Amino acid sequence: MRTSERARRTSSAVVLYVIILVAFQVFLITVAVEAFQTDTESLAWATAAVSVTLFAAAAAFLRYLRP
Amino acid sequence: MTEGQTPIEVPVAPPWKRDFPYQALSEEEVTRREFARYLVLGAGTFAVANVGIAAWTQLRTINTGEPRAILPLADVAVGEPHLFRYPGDADPAILVRLSDTDVVAFSQKCTHLGCVVYYEPDQQRWHCPCHEGNFEAQTGAVISGPPTRPLGRIDLEVRTDGMIWALGRHT
Repeated sequence: MRTSERARRTSSAVVLYVIILVAFQVFLITVAVEAFQTDTESLAWATAAVSVTLFAAAAAFLRYLRP
Repeated sequence: MTEGQTPIEVPVAPPWKRDFPYQALSEEEVTRREFARYLVLGAGTFAVANVGIAAWTQLRTINTGEPRAILPLADVAVGEPHLFRYPGDADPAILVRLSDTDVVAFSQKCTHLGCVVYYEPDQQRWHCPCHEGNFEAQTGAVISGPPTRPLGRIDLEVRTDGMIWALGRHT
Protein backbone atom coordinates (compact mmCIF):
# COMPACT_ATOMS: atom_id res chain seq x y z
CA MET A 1 0.00 0.00 0.00
CA ARG A 2 1.35 3.41 -0.87
CA THR A 3 2.11 5.84 1.91
CA SER A 4 -0.53 8.35 0.81
CA GLU A 5 -3.15 5.63 0.61
CA ARG A 6 -2.24 4.41 4.09
CA ALA A 7 -2.38 7.95 5.47
CA ARG A 8 -5.77 8.50 3.88
CA ARG A 9 -7.16 5.33 5.39
CA THR A 10 -5.65 6.16 8.78
CA SER A 11 -7.23 9.59 8.82
CA SER A 12 -10.58 8.09 7.80
CA ALA A 13 -10.32 5.66 10.71
CA VAL A 14 -9.47 8.48 13.08
CA VAL A 15 -12.52 10.47 11.93
CA LEU A 16 -14.62 7.35 12.47
CA TYR A 17 -13.27 7.00 16.01
CA VAL A 18 -14.07 10.64 16.72
CA ILE A 19 -17.63 10.17 15.39
CA ILE A 20 -18.10 7.19 17.70
CA LEU A 21 -16.77 9.18 20.67
CA VAL A 22 -19.16 12.05 19.93
CA ALA A 23 -22.07 9.60 19.62
CA PHE A 24 -21.10 8.23 23.02
CA GLN A 25 -21.16 11.78 24.37
CA VAL A 26 -24.80 12.09 23.30
CA PHE A 27 -25.55 8.95 25.29
CA LEU A 28 -23.68 10.35 28.28
CA ILE A 29 -25.70 13.56 28.28
CA THR A 30 -28.90 11.50 28.59
CA VAL A 31 -27.36 9.62 31.52
CA ALA A 32 -26.42 12.94 33.13
CA VAL A 33 -29.94 14.31 32.75
CA GLU A 34 -31.36 11.14 34.26
CA ALA A 35 -28.90 11.45 37.16
CA PHE A 36 -30.08 15.02 37.61
CA GLN A 37 -33.72 13.97 37.66
CA THR A 38 -33.09 11.21 40.17
CA ASP A 39 -30.71 13.42 42.19
CA THR A 40 -27.90 10.87 41.95
CA GLU A 41 -24.82 13.02 42.41
CA SER A 42 -22.31 10.19 42.16
CA LEU A 43 -23.68 9.11 38.79
CA ALA A 44 -23.70 12.68 37.52
CA TRP A 45 -20.04 13.20 38.43
CA ALA A 46 -19.01 9.82 37.04
CA THR A 47 -20.75 10.69 33.78
CA ALA A 48 -18.98 14.05 33.68
CA ALA A 49 -15.61 12.39 34.27
CA VAL A 50 -16.16 9.89 31.44
CA SER A 51 -17.36 12.70 29.18
CA VAL A 52 -14.26 14.80 29.81
CA THR A 53 -12.06 11.75 29.23
CA LEU A 54 -13.78 11.08 25.91
CA PHE A 55 -13.32 14.69 24.89
CA ALA A 56 -9.61 14.44 25.71
CA ALA A 57 -9.39 11.24 23.67
CA ALA A 58 -11.14 12.87 20.73
CA ALA A 59 -8.78 15.85 20.93
CA ALA A 60 -5.80 13.50 21.06
CA PHE A 61 -7.04 11.64 17.99
CA LEU A 62 -7.23 14.93 16.15
CA ARG A 63 -3.46 15.23 16.41
CA TYR A 64 -3.02 12.07 14.35
CA LEU A 65 -4.90 13.51 11.42
CA ARG A 66 -2.67 14.78 8.63
CA PRO A 67 -3.13 18.49 7.99
CA MET B 1 -4.13 20.11 -35.76
CA THR B 2 -0.78 19.31 -37.25
CA GLU B 3 0.88 15.94 -37.07
CA GLY B 4 2.96 15.40 -33.92
CA GLN B 5 0.88 17.55 -31.64
CA THR B 6 -0.94 15.85 -28.78
CA PRO B 7 -4.67 16.53 -28.56
CA ILE B 8 -5.76 18.81 -25.75
CA GLU B 9 -8.06 17.07 -23.26
CA VAL B 10 -11.11 19.16 -22.56
CA PRO B 11 -12.56 18.33 -19.13
CA VAL B 12 -16.05 16.95 -19.43
CA ALA B 13 -18.53 18.35 -16.93
CA PRO B 14 -20.63 15.82 -15.05
CA PRO B 15 -24.27 15.52 -16.18
CA TRP B 16 -25.64 17.26 -13.06
CA LYS B 17 -23.37 20.23 -13.80
CA ARG B 18 -24.82 20.50 -17.29
CA ASP B 19 -28.37 20.25 -15.99
CA PHE B 20 -27.72 22.74 -13.20
CA PRO B 21 -25.13 25.12 -14.56
CA TYR B 22 -24.88 27.41 -11.58
CA GLN B 23 -21.85 27.96 -9.45
CA ALA B 24 -21.61 29.41 -6.00
CA LEU B 25 -19.33 32.35 -5.42
CA SER B 26 -17.09 30.26 -3.26
CA GLU B 27 -17.55 26.54 -3.31
CA GLU B 28 -15.66 25.54 -0.23
CA GLU B 29 -14.71 22.07 0.74
CA VAL B 30 -14.60 20.90 4.31
CA THR B 31 -11.45 18.94 4.82
CA ARG B 32 -11.36 15.81 6.89
CA ARG B 33 -9.39 17.60 9.57
CA GLU B 34 -11.88 20.46 9.73
CA PHE B 35 -14.75 17.99 10.01
CA ALA B 36 -12.97 16.20 12.86
CA ARG B 37 -12.29 19.54 14.51
CA TYR B 38 -16.00 20.35 14.47
CA LEU B 39 -16.72 16.97 16.00
CA VAL B 40 -14.14 17.50 18.74
CA LEU B 41 -15.64 20.93 19.43
CA GLY B 42 -19.02 19.22 19.75
CA ALA B 43 -17.53 16.66 22.11
CA GLY B 44 -16.07 19.49 24.18
CA THR B 45 -19.47 21.16 24.35
CA PHE B 46 -21.03 17.93 25.56
CA ALA B 47 -18.27 17.50 28.15
CA VAL B 48 -18.84 21.02 29.48
CA ALA B 49 -22.59 20.37 29.58
CA ASN B 50 -22.03 17.13 31.51
CA VAL B 51 -19.83 18.87 34.07
CA GLY B 52 -22.43 21.64 34.37
CA ILE B 53 -25.23 19.16 34.97
CA ALA B 54 -23.14 17.36 37.60
CA ALA B 55 -22.40 20.66 39.35
CA TRP B 56 -26.07 21.62 39.19
CA THR B 57 -27.07 18.25 40.64
CA GLN B 58 -24.58 18.78 43.46
CA LEU B 59 -25.43 22.37 44.28
CA ARG B 60 -29.19 22.60 43.90
CA THR B 61 -31.34 22.52 46.97
CA ILE B 62 -34.36 20.29 46.88
CA ASN B 63 -37.46 21.58 48.57
CA THR B 64 -38.41 18.90 51.06
CA GLY B 65 -41.20 21.03 52.43
CA GLU B 66 -42.26 22.83 55.56
CA PRO B 67 -44.78 21.39 58.04
CA ARG B 68 -48.26 22.04 56.77
CA ALA B 69 -51.79 20.93 57.68
CA ILE B 70 -53.41 18.75 55.01
CA LEU B 71 -56.93 17.81 56.16
CA PRO B 72 -58.71 16.32 59.19
CA LEU B 73 -58.26 12.57 59.63
CA ALA B 74 -62.03 12.21 59.99
CA ASP B 75 -62.47 13.39 56.40
CA VAL B 76 -60.56 10.44 54.97
CA ALA B 77 -62.25 7.06 54.79
CA VAL B 78 -60.20 3.88 55.14
CA GLY B 79 -58.88 2.84 51.72
CA GLU B 80 -59.76 6.17 50.18
CA PRO B 81 -57.00 8.26 48.62
CA HIS B 82 -56.76 12.00 48.92
CA LEU B 83 -54.84 14.12 46.45
CA PHE B 84 -52.97 17.21 47.56
CA ARG B 85 -49.91 19.28 46.66
CA TYR B 86 -46.75 19.03 48.68
CA PRO B 87 -44.19 20.52 49.20
CA GLY B 88 -44.96 23.01 46.40
CA ASP B 89 -47.96 23.69 44.21
CA ALA B 90 -46.28 21.83 41.35
CA ASP B 91 -45.67 18.67 43.38
CA PRO B 92 -48.61 16.25 43.29
CA ALA B 93 -48.91 14.06 46.35
CA ILE B 94 -51.30 11.37 47.42
CA LEU B 95 -52.44 10.32 50.85
CA VAL B 96 -54.29 7.18 51.81
CA ARG B 97 -55.72 5.92 55.08
CA LEU B 98 -54.74 2.28 55.30
CA SER B 99 -56.49 1.62 58.62
CA ASP B 100 -58.16 3.57 61.41
CA THR B 101 -54.83 4.77 62.74
CA ASP B 102 -52.46 4.34 59.82
CA VAL B 103 -52.14 7.11 57.24
CA VAL B 104 -49.38 7.27 54.63
CA ALA B 105 -48.56 9.80 51.94
CA PHE B 106 -46.21 9.77 48.99
CA SER B 107 -45.20 11.92 46.10
CA GLN B 108 -47.50 10.99 43.26
CA LYS B 109 -44.64 11.04 40.75
CA CYS B 110 -43.45 7.59 39.75
CA THR B 111 -39.69 7.30 40.25
CA HIS B 112 -39.34 5.74 36.81
CA LEU B 113 -40.37 8.52 34.43
CA GLY B 114 -42.57 10.79 36.51
CA CYS B 115 -46.07 9.56 35.64
CA VAL B 116 -48.64 9.84 38.42
CA VAL B 117 -49.29 6.78 40.55
CA TYR B 118 -52.69 5.65 41.82
CA TYR B 119 -53.73 3.63 44.80
CA GLU B 120 -55.20 0.20 44.17
CA PRO B 121 -57.04 -0.78 47.37
CA ASP B 122 -57.76 -4.34 46.27
CA GLN B 123 -54.07 -5.00 45.60
CA GLN B 124 -52.83 -2.83 48.49
CA ARG B 125 -50.30 -1.11 46.26
CA TRP B 126 -49.47 2.04 44.34
CA HIS B 127 -49.73 1.51 40.61
CA CYS B 128 -48.17 3.46 37.77
CA PRO B 129 -50.19 2.83 34.59
CA CYS B 130 -47.52 4.16 32.22
CA HIS B 131 -45.10 1.25 32.49
CA GLU B 132 -46.81 -1.04 34.99
CA GLY B 133 -44.70 -0.05 37.95
CA ASN B 134 -46.00 -1.15 41.36
CA PHE B 135 -45.07 0.05 44.83
CA GLU B 136 -45.85 -1.30 48.26
CA ALA B 137 -48.69 0.65 49.89
CA GLN B 138 -47.16 1.05 53.34
CA THR B 139 -43.54 1.86 52.49
CA GLY B 140 -43.59 2.84 48.83
CA ALA B 141 -40.93 0.22 48.07
CA VAL B 142 -40.78 -1.16 44.53
CA ILE B 143 -42.74 -4.37 44.06
CA SER B 144 -42.43 -4.81 40.32
CA GLY B 145 -41.93 -2.95 37.06
CA PRO B 146 -39.20 -0.69 35.76
CA PRO B 147 -38.80 1.69 38.74
CA THR B 148 -35.69 1.10 40.81
CA ARG B 149 -36.28 3.58 43.63
CA PRO B 150 -39.15 3.79 46.13
CA LEU B 151 -41.75 6.53 45.99
CA GLY B 152 -40.85 9.78 47.73
CA ARG B 153 -42.36 9.33 51.17
CA ILE B 154 -43.98 12.25 53.00
CA ASP B 155 -43.76 12.15 56.77
CA LEU B 156 -47.16 12.60 58.37
CA GLU B 157 -48.35 13.33 61.87
CA VAL B 158 -51.88 13.19 63.20
CA ARG B 159 -52.10 15.89 65.86
CA THR B 160 -54.35 15.96 68.89
CA ASP B 161 -56.95 18.05 67.11
CA GLY B 162 -57.30 15.29 64.53
CA MET B 163 -55.59 17.23 61.76
CA ILE B 164 -53.11 15.45 59.47
CA TRP B 165 -49.88 17.38 59.06
CA ALA B 166 -47.23 16.85 56.40
CA LEU B 167 -43.82 17.31 58.01
CA GLY B 168 -41.47 16.88 55.07
CA ARG B 169 -40.76 14.81 52.00
CA HIS B 170 -38.00 12.30 51.47
CA THR B 171 -36.31 12.50 48.05
